[in-house]
Amino acid sequence: MLRFLHTADWQIGRQYSRFDPDDAAMLADARYVAVQRLARLAGEEQVAAVLVAGDIFDAQTLSDRTLHRTFQAMSAFSGPWVMLPGNHDAALAESIWTRAERIGAMPANVHLLTTPEVFVLEDAGAAILPAPLTQRQTHHDLSVWFDNAETHKGAIRIGLAHGSVEGQLPESADSPNPIAADRATTAKLDYLALGDWHGLKRINARTWYSGTPEQERFKDNGAGQALLVEIDSPGDEPRVTPCEIGQHRWYQWQRQIHVASDLDALLTELAALPAMSVIDLTLSGELDLAGQQCLEQALGAAAGRHRSLQTHLGGLALVPTAEDIAALQADGYVGNVISELQQQQQGGDAQADTARQALGILARLLGDQRSAADAPESQS
Amino acid sequence: MRLTHVRVENFQQFRTPLEINDLDDGINLFVGPNESGKSTLVRAIRAAFFERYKTRTLVDLQPWGDSSAAPEVSLAFEWQGKHWTLNKRFLQRQRSDLTSGGEHYSGDEADDRLAELLGYDIPGRGASKAEHWGIPGLLWVEQGAVQEMREPVGHAGGHLQSALSQSLGDALGDIASSSGDALIASVERERGELLTATGRPTGELRDVQQQCDAHASELTKLDGQVEQYHERVDRLGELQRLQKDIDAARPWEEQQEKARLGQQQLDEVHKLQALQAQQRHQLETCQRNLQIYRQQLQGFDNEAQQLEKRLKAREQARLELSQYEAATSGVEQRISGARAAYEAAKAQYQMARSQARRQSLEQDSQRLITEIDQLSRNLDSARELSESQRLLAEQRQRCRVDEKQLIRLQKLEQALGELGIRREALATRLRYSLEADQQLMLDEEPLSGTGEQLLVAPGEIRIPRVGTLIIKPGGSDVSELVRQQQRLADERDDLLKRLGISDLASAQAQARRAEQLKQQAQQQQARLEGLAPSGVEALEAQQQLAIGRRDTLDAELAALPVASENGSVPNESQAQATLDNVEQQLKAAEQAATDHAGKLGLARQALRTADAEWQRQYDDINAPDRQQRKSQVTDALLELKAEAEQLEAALKKRQHEIEAANPEVLEQDVKRFTRAADSLRQQASARAAEINDLQARLETLGAQGLEEKREEIRLVYQRQQRRQAELEQRSEALDLLLELLKSERQAVTRRLQAPLQKHLNRYLRLLFPGAELSVDDDLRPSTLIRQGASQPQRDDLEALSFGAREQMGLVTRLAYADLLQDAGRPTLIILDDALVHCDQARREQMKRILFDAAQRHQILLFTCHPENWQDLGAVPRDMLSLRRDCD
Repeated sequence: MLRFLHTADWQIGRQYSRFDPDDAAMLADARYVAVQRLARLAGEEQVAAVLVAGDIFDAQTLSDRTLHRTFQAMSAFSGPWVMLPGNHDAALAESIWTRAERIGAMPANVHLLTTPEVFVLEDAGAAILPAPLTQRQTHHDLSVWFDNAETHKGAIRIGLAHGSVEGQLPESADSPNPIAADRATTAKLDYLALGDWHGLKRINARTWYSGTPEQERFKDNGAGQALLVEIDSPGDEPRVTPCEIGQHRWYQWQRQIHVASDLDALLTELAALPAMSVIDLTLSGELDLAGQQCLEQALGAAAGRHRSLQTHLGGLALVPTAEDIAALQADGYVGNVISELQQQQQGGDAQADTARQALGILARLLGDQRSAADAPESQS
Repeated sequence: MRLTHVRVENFQQFRTPLEINDLDDGINLFVGPNESGKSTLVRAIRAAFFERYKTRTLVDLQPWGDSSAAPEVSLAFEWQGKHWTLNKRFLQRQRSDLTSGGEHYSGDEADDRLAELLGYDIPGRGASKAEHWGIPGLLWVEQGAVQEMREPVGHAGGHLQSALSQSLGDALGDIASSSGDALIASVERERGELLTATGRPTGELRDVQQQCDAHASELTKLDGQVEQYHERVDRLGELQRLQKDIDAARPWEEQQEKARLGQQQLDEVHKLQALQAQQRHQLETCQRNLQIYRQQLQGFDNEAQQLEKRLKAREQARLELSQYEAATSGVEQRISGARAAYEAAKAQYQMARSQARRQSLEQDSQRLITEIDQLSRNLDSARELSESQRLLAEQRQRCRVDEKQLIRLQKLEQALGELGIRREALATRLRYSLEADQQLMLDEEPLSGTGEQLLVAPGEIRIPRVGTLIIKPGGSDVSELVRQQQRLADERDDLLKRLGISDLASAQAQARRAEQLKQQAQQQQARLEGLAPSGVEALEAQQQLAIGRRDTLDAELAALPVASENGSVPNESQAQATLDNVEQQLKAAEQAATDHAGKLGLARQALRTADAEWQRQYDDINAPDRQQRKSQVTDALLELKAEAEQLEAALKKRQHEIEAANPEVLEQDVKRFTRAADSLRQQASARAAEINDLQARLETLGAQGLEEKREEIRLVYQRQQRRQAELEQRSEALDLLLELLKSERQAVTRRLQAPLQKHLNRYLRLLFPGAELSVDDDLRPSTLIRQGASQPQRDDLEALSFGAREQMGLVTRLAYADLLQDAGRPTLIILDDALVHCDQARREQMKRILFDAAQRHQILLFTCHPENWQDLGAVPRDMLSLRRDCD
């Protein structure tokens, strides 16, 4: 029986510029942690090999330190790592791979398959048919040669490719690096390990995308896992088991708030999320001063519990109630200003955002003034 | 509010109580000179209100020098239908009591109640200051301060605002301008952290914007570098592919082989071409020989014609020679004729020359005869003169007198004469007149008749029968003179003797004679010199010389032939001309003869040559081997023709062969294949070099981790962009807030300004018809706008004259009072010596204004110029009499 791990799209070196620098640094680090976890899992499961179906690196020019860190993160598994260049780390004339080799970062148990030739895993009785990318993009199906590839009799045939399976993925109509959906059948493969699609996807019983082991997009598509594949003997259908690898779940929410209970519901929902998630929250609707205070507190708490919390409150109007205004003692012409701002923030345009913020500032200043005025009174 | 009663005791100059009752509702005019207590009264009223009763520092309230006094002020006033009394004592036994109907306040309570009622602040401790005075500070004007508006209005601001907004209704709310203004200040401060006054970014916003720009350009740079990197990688891949596909097969070798084959073919053609050239050369030689033989044959045919030609030439030469020989005798005749003519002319010329010579010699001879004759005569005269000179010299020698001695003699004679005269003058004069027949003897000398005797020496006169008289001349000089006379006479006599002359006169005559002789000698000498300047001997020599020359000439003349008798001898120049002419003719004749001889010689030579040529030609034609040589030439010619034809055929064939091989194209092929091989090799090596270069570059660039670096910078850049957007949003919000606050505040202010403006205009109408006084946001008067001739005249209040500012100050205060009254606030107006700078006309108007105001407000007016306020419509109270009453 052949047991191996199928993973892909590590995208080492990816930066997260939409996040605050601290969060971004942690998210970048998480990709190394994912590799460490993969290595540990491979060791625990005593697999014959780890197959990485492309895009190990996010770019061709990364620092030497990044290269070293990546290969060191793999140290927990000393068995063979079979790696395929993807579109981000294509085996170009000069590439991240030539560099890794030149600086001696690549350990001996890493097998980089840069040519379309059968690679035999002697001990496992498996023949690996790679379709490496030697250009960033190609419009030919590089896996065509699998169909006629001769392998040792009795060897388990495993295809390794990186690209878009035709007709299976959304928006893949004209995507580069095409792969025929029935390749596993035409090439008599026992298993076709694919990379490029960052979610976990089963194309057919023998053809799978493992997805990236650490999520890095707001898409709920099973990212953050690796596949443990078991094949009893050539021709048998493989048993594929997804294994959790990722640390962070990514959530992108749009919510409307109109009444107090809407806010309560949102806060409950937020509290239910697993810790260390990456959250992107867009709110619209209206909020009074008390609601705003409550929301601010809740968001502050959530920001502490999660890896990253980004909020977009542009669509959320601050609507002080009559009581709010009375509490601020904002009568006279300041009162007029407040009602003017309240009117302006209904516009829904950029001016409305400005008015909303201006109203917030005014409320804060009035609050400060009032507490400054109250302070001596309470003392006396 | 109406003040009804004031009582002051132990207060500054009012040691004894001063009490004023029955204060009028309207104007109360207090008059009195300086120091009469007007200001003290005002101070007392102010102290009653403003000063906290227990303040210890108010010692200035005490009468001068009385530190134990307790200044006390009691006031009574009516307000809102109630009667209020206030009693206040400072420094000693301090107290403050305020009573109104059933209400009673004492101590601080009383002070605070009062402050609230009238709208001012009372300090917690210490003396009250201007900033505490609030509304009364505005309405109670101290001496000379009416024109000051800025500070009092500022201090009253809060009270004014709150009083006014209260009166204007709830719409404006309770918020005092101070808290609204504090809000504006806060917003301005926060805005100032992001934007400058003119709305340009500053502080963090500016920094973030700049950083964003810097990072954006850095990103662009890195994008470029990354792109370049990828391009180079692609290029490297392409080059490596080309190297593998093309260069590995060494395609240049095939081209080289093609070039080699082409070269072989070309070499063959070159051989053919060499052969062709050789044959062409042979053909040319052959044709040249053909030409020569043809010429030889032609030569044989020409020889007979040549002989004929030579014969004719010989005849011609012979003819020419005979012609020259015939002319020879003529030439000789002409030359002998010319020679005879020349000899004749030459003889003529000789004759003419000797004739001319003879004439010249005869003339010379004649001249010399004359000269000799003259010289002989001169010589005779000269000899005579010379003899005469000698005789004269002898005579002169005889009568010669020495010039110096003669002069000496003259001097001696003169001195003797002088001495005689002197002796006569000195001598004793003896004059006598004797009887006719009487005689006396003086010394030895008888004296008779009448006479005179000069006695220079003693003399004896013997008078007969009488005796002897001895007369002695007086003095010794007479004898000295006699002696001197004697000495000179001796010398003269000696001189005369030496000269051989008897006396001076003969000496002089002799000297004259000598002079005459001398002159005569000189005349004769001159004549002699004219005749013989160099002496008589020289003259003789001259004569002999002339004689010699004449003899020579005579000899020469004798030698010359005598002129021919016929006498047709031409003169010399004519003969010369004739000779020259004839000589020319001779020369021409001689030249003609020479020429002729030359031509004759040439003609003879030509004949000889022509003869020789004819002979040779004749010999050639008649040579025995001529026919044989001619047939040899003909044979050779035929042979050569055959050879040439053969060669031409061979050449034609070569040409065909060469053209068929096409050497030009072959050459181009070789060149082309060689070049193709070179270029392929070069491409291969260029590719290899570029590959090496690219690999090296990419290795270096790869070490920089460009994309990772770019992502890091993008991270920072996007964060800064977000920060920038936030700050911009915030700055816009602050901008909006500030703008709204300011415009709302302005709207409110305008609503507050309106009633004030109304009251102001009421008073201004009286002072400047049609004028308007604008009021700023803080309700301070700012600009006076009057109707000018053509356009309104705008004057900043600060720029007006002191008097006008004072008037504006009062008018504004009255308007405030009206405004406050409208708001239900108490108003009391105190004017201490106001309007002192007013001119008469304005004061009249101000009186109308004050009177008008007094219809609504109680006014206390203090002045030291009662005459100015007589017609104010108020009974003046004299401070002095008030004090008297109380005393």
